[in-house]
Amino acid sequence: MLINTTRFGRMEIDDQRIMTFPKGILGFSREKQYVLMEASKDSCFFWLQAINRPDLAFVITDPSFFVSSYRVPLNSDQMRELGIEILDDAQVFVIVNKYDNTLTGNLQGPLVINTKDRLGEQLVLSDRRFTTRMNLVELSVPLEAVSA
Amino acid sequence: MLVLSRQRDEAIVIGDDIEITIVDIRGDKVRLGINAPRQVKVHRKEVYEAIKRENTSASQVGRNVLDAIDENLREARKSSNGYSQLI
Repeated sequence: MLINTTRFGRMEIDDQRIMTFPKGILGFSREKQYVLMEASKDSCFFWLQAINRPDLAFVITDPSFFVSSYRVPLNSDQMRELGIEILDDAQVFVIVNKYDNTLTGNLQGPLVINTKDRLGEQLVLSDRRFTTRMNLVELSVPLEAVSA
Repeated sequence: MLVLSRQRDEAIVIGDDIEITIVDIRGDKVRLGINAPRQVKVHRKEVYEAIKRENTSASQVGRNVLDAIDENLREARKSSNGYSQLI
């Protein structure tokens, strides 16, 4: 299908790539369908683009690249809800934001995706070690900023 | 909004299977005990709101945000392969 996006223009995507978040993403409960795109080849970052809302897209990443101790507790009810039978079928992402020159990750509200059925949900963790704004990576300072 | 007065150890019942008990009251702090089925999600509201706020803020990130990403990060990605089926 053809989708419109404000960041990437019009894009043709295979219908089979569509992922469904039955409850939406917190704050965006109406948008339930998304497509995952590589930010660039082999990038650690991905774009999660809403199918029906051109301006809605999130940068997401696999938090294990940055925080090796990070674990998302999934109980059997949550696994059943997402249709996850074995943990290998679950992929965790976190939504990325940018503050000044730092990319942060929302480790308190991870996205858990059933990679087989393409079903996702944003969880709310009560673990206070993880916040909504944990530093992931400092961006390298652009050259023009250095010389200015 | 329905407003009820309760004393310590009293409870309210919501529907057939959710029970909220006033466990302790100390000054302006109230401790609640919640009994609910596991599929009912119970969160501190401020955590829920913080995630919502952060989502909203993150949704404003522009296309060029990743331009300055270090090449080294690509190497990390190459060592894992769980994403191919989603993209």
